[in-house]
Amino acid sequence: MEDEGQGRKFQKDLNSGLVALVLLAVLERSPEDLYGYEIAKRLQKANEGDALFKEGTIYPVLRTLSATGLLTSRIVPSYSGPPRRYYRITDEGRAVLQQWNGIWRQTRDFVDRFVEGTAP
Amino acid sequence: MNRFSAPRSIDEYLKQLRAALEGEDPSLIQDALYDAEEYLRAEVAAHPGKSEADVLELIASTYGAPDEVAAAYRDTEVKVKAALRTPPPRRVENPSSARRFFGIFLDARAYTSLFYMLLTLATGILYFVLVVVGLSLSAGLAILIIGVPFFLVFIGITRVVSLGEGRLIEAITGERMPRRPVHPGPPGGWGARIGAMLSDARTWTTLLYFVLMLPLGICYFVIATVGLSIGGNLALAPVAVMGNALGLIGDDSGFSAFALGNHFFRLTGHSWVAAIFMFVIGVFVLTLLMHVARGIGRGHARLAKALLVEPGA
Repeated sequence: MEDEGQGRKFQKDLNSGLVALVLLAVLERSPEDLYGYEIAKRLQKANEGDALFKEGTIYPVLRTLSATGLLTSRIVPSYSGPPRRYYRITDEGRAVLQQWNGIWRQTRDFVDRFVEGTAP
Repeated sequence: MNRFSAPRSIDEYLKQLRAALEGEDPSLIQDALYDAEEYLRAEVAAHPGKSEADVLELIASTYGAPDEVAAAYRDTEVKVKAALRTPPPRRVENPSSARRFFGIFLDARAYTSLFYMLLTLATGILYFVLVVVGLSLSAGLAILIIGVPFFLVFIGITRVVSLGEGRLIEAITGERMPRRPVHPGPPGGWGARIGAMLSDARTWTTLLYFVLMLPLGICYFVIATVGLSIGGNLALAPVAVMGNALGLIGDDSGFSAFALGNHFFRLTGHSWVAAIFMFVIGVFVLTLLMHVARGIGRGHARLAKALLVEPGA
């Protein structure tokens, strides 16, 4: 039980920056606007098995990204239920995605070097 | 970790989520409930034939429990607040009263509030007309079959406008307002929807706010323009005297921009002393106006919060 708690905490700490990176990437790659549920489903496909994060936690991150101008959103009324908020990446979002992607690769390589034991 | 038993219905989930977010800003709570309801209803719709309880059990571990989702919102809110805040004026340790009084000119909120006060004449008229036309048409058409959906559309429009007004107030005064519209609730027939809208206190307080915006807007606009013109004209008195010395204004000139300056000029003659005196009063009036503007900005934001957001929380 102790290990599981430790593992979950470490995962949460890692997620705090990376979920935002993944959300930007999903929206950048998609040719059309996506709404919250669609985005969650796309992530779920890759997130099967040992889930890396809970889907409910991506919504506040989407709001943050919108609030800081990296995404825009619009509301579309829907007849089959509640109105949906569709998200789209902005030019600023694309630039930030590039930057964060670079940082992520650097960090990943750096950590691997030590964890894999290839560092002196 | 779970304070409550697992929710067996969407309403129960939302109730637990609201409880888990207790103490947070009502606008944040509204946003969180909206997102959760959107996801859960979509998930239920994607599993036809399964009950809500079954679907909730299915997604319990992948979507997150109410308190996990609440924690995510609390954590992000801190970051969003920091990103959106207009920079507060730099605080000086124990400012002297003079600095506190005149320091208002360094406060961005005072300027944005003053701008808002000028704007509210237009928005107040707009909102008032919207409500009056909407309500009277709804009442008039009520006997026809089109009356019912018309009323729904009218309330829907007021909700969207209320959201827009909230965003404007947040930008002007920093008071956190909802970023999502009010959720229409579970899909139902026309009757159920109308019933829900009519029994929601927030529908009525929103209409009250729109109606109040007309007298308030007129008041704010008058305060702002009177303050600006009196303060501005008095403060420009030395310029008026100088202008007369240069032959630009006065009884003989055709330059009418400083009409009030002309008037005072006639009262004071060529007196520089009087001009300095008027300048001091003018600056004082302007500073007072800025303080009043900031106070009105804060007070109005609280009113908007009370009428547009809190009844629904």
